[in-house]
Amino acid sequence: MKQVLIAGIGNVLLGDDGVGPYVARLLSSSYSFEPGVEVEDLGTPALDLIDHITGLDALILIDSVDDGLPGGTITLYSKDDIVRHGPPVRMDPHSPALTESLLAAEFVGTAPKEVLLIGISGSRYDAGCQLSAPVQAAVAQVVDHVLIELDRLDLSYEPAQNKQSEIWWDDAPVASLAVS
Amino acid sequence: MAKRITIDPITRIEGHLRVDVQVDNGRVSDAWASCTMWRGIEKILEGRDPREAWLFTQRFCGVCTTVHAMASVRAVEDALKLEIPANAQYIRNLVLINHGLHDHIVHFYHLSALDWVDVLQIPKADPAKTSSLAESLSPWTRNSRNEMKAAQDKVKAVAASGQLGIFANGYWGHPAMHLSPEVNLLAFSHYLQALEYQRKSNQVVGMLGGKTPHIQNLTVGGVSNAINLDSQAVLGMERLEQMKVLMDEVATFVQQVYLPDACAISAMYADWFGIGSGVKNYLAVPELPIDARATQFDLPGGYIPGGDVSSVRAFHSHADDQFRQSVLEDVTHSYYAGKTRLHPWKGETVPEYTDWQADKKYTWVKAPRFENKPAQVGPLAQVLVGYAQGHPLTRKWTDAALDRISTVAGRKIGVAQLHSTMGRHAARAIRACMLAELGQKHWQLLVDNIAKGDLSIHNPPSFPSGTIQGVGTHEAPRGTLSHWVVVDGGKIKNYQAVVPSTWNASPRDIAGAHGPYEASLLDSPIANPELPLEVLRTIHSFDPCMACACHTFDPTGKQIAKVKVL
Repeated sequence: MKQVLIAGIGNVLLGDDGVGPYVARLLSSSYSFEPGVEVEDLGTPALDLIDHITGLDALILIDSVDDGLPGGTITLYSKDDIVRHGPPVRMDPHSPALTESLLAAEFVGTAPKEVLLIGISGSRYDAGCQLSAPVQAAVAQVVDHVLIELDRLDLSYEPAQNKQSEIWWDDAPVASLAVS
Repeated sequence: MAKRITIDPITRIEGHLRVDVQVDNGRVSDAWASCTMWRGIEKILEGRDPREAWLFTQRFCGVCTTVHAMASVRAVEDALKLEIPANAQYIRNLVLINHGLHDHIVHFYHLSALDWVDVLQIPKADPAKTSSLAESLSPWTRNSRNEMKAAQDKVKAVAASGQLGIFANGYWGHPAMHLSPEVNLLAFSHYLQALEYQRKSNQVVGMLGGKTPHIQNLTVGGVSNAINLDSQAVLGMERLEQMKVLMDEVATFVQQVYLPDACAISAMYADWFGIGSGVKNYLAVPELPIDARATQFDLPGGYIPGGDVSSVRAFHSHADDQFRQSVLEDVTHSYYAGKTRLHPWKGETVPEYTDWQADKKYTWVKAPRFENKPAQVGPLAQVLVGYAQGHPLTRKWTDAALDRISTVAGRKIGVAQLHSTMGRHAARAIRACMLAELGQKHWQLLVDNIAKGDLSIHNPPSFPSGTIQGVGTHEAPRGTLSHWVVVDGGKIKNYQAVVPSTWNASPRDIAGAHGPYEASLLDSPIANPELPLEVLRTIHSFDPCMACACHTFDPTGKQIAKVKVL
């Protein structure tokens, strides 16, 4: 059985930074996945991410990215893209730790065999629990990218019946996903 | 000639700690700590149901999730004068203890050890000598030559490939690094082992909290862990025993590896017991209540003014009036409008951004003050407050640590030397040993209480129609945390979180008094302004945490800290 994690990362209190957790919870409530495939809203795990990715066959990350592109643009990144620049030297040892976590897992030999980061360019990161309109509009397409990756990995899933959405932080009604 | 150095990690949202130091003749002559992003997250809570506040507050930060959840439920319970069942206290305490152990282990080995340990010296080490050295320091069973050799081989492979990976961008070869190759290897082998043991602590948090990093088992009035000793589905004996095994393993690691390493490395850099003291007013709140009504605690709280441990004043409860009356937030040098000083219950969060101005406003962090003075918080404060009160467990581990340090250093290092950069590291290791021991105690308290037939986990809250206010305190891994809530008609009217890094990273106040980070840097040596490792060492010793608010990934790699010498 393949061990696969689909992880949404980001701060749900800071606008578009919450898109990862949002999509993770939407996936959880819209689909059932074959055993071994977990979907998690990991929030802002910093270096704790190492524990979550240790020993996986595949990791699919959903996160907001700063690549200067318009809000809602989706870009796919490989593991090499993520670790290319090495870990930052920083004043604050707790800053976001995607690069460090992957490099640390790689160093001890437990990094996931396959890594895909589905990056969504954000347009606002101020305090607030809702996604901006362009990012909200991209959500369905982000879900498609996750499913395409699952197809590529030859993993099965099916639409779930009657699961409740658990996006508790969003005051706006959560758009249900038209699943096929 | 004076030089100004700015160390500023650059990200898109610019939300991180920035430090500016002025250097005269190789010494820091002035310092400014600032945070470059307005968070204002507390505003999100206004108008919400106080029973749900903890779900939001634990999303403030990615590392300190549990602590913001705990302070939040305590604040609402304080406003309601709601007691929680004894089981709920113990379960919460076990979450806090294991979160704290995880946090301290990660901080020492993975976030700050490489300020002192030079990875690129490791290939030169003799694994057999390293093993003998390790075995002279500790009975730990994983100090064999083979263990050391395996760690060394990993570094050699990385060094030979030219791709340093996780170790790229370190200050390797800096003149302020001077451990022997063997000590570097020893520390590094434990860096690798620490990855396993911090995970065990996190597993315990997950077993009680449902998941990490964001726990799910809290509720205003108690916890939601149903208890049935015979069940595997809820909290029963089988799961409690599994937790105990993990906690025992971590306790052994902390006492046989972390403490000896922290003592040995700090002793080999003993001059750092004379650098980095800064603000010597210390503040800690009591933690780990041992009864349902929270009248007695296993970690003492109190206040020490001016570094004089003989003048310690104890706080005897979460509701201590000295604490709740004496905290003010000053915004003289912070990007906020309004009155200069306000009590958190009256706190305002109205942004008024200016540029970074050394003598005016320069940070988004407010300046919390205790009795109008800056105060240092964190493990050092907690250890000193306990030591000053003659708390037996604090004395036991502090004396053990100081003995070890003095032996390796070849000279007496006493409590007076703990007011320093190295003192903060030593105190964190001391606190970890205390937490490990207390974890076993609180596990037993929980099991014994359940065995008596008490399965109660929750007292339901009910909200009055008028206005109530409360404060929830928690002595978190980074120090004193307090959440201040005002509830009106069952809805949150005002919410302020005064977090440990706000105390320590605070700017100057109306009286011009530096905050703890700033004060700790004054007079620090700086060998090379282009590579200000000494600044990082002192700032890291506080275990700062300000930046995990926003996790946006930057694919261009420009998060690398910018050091600008003017």
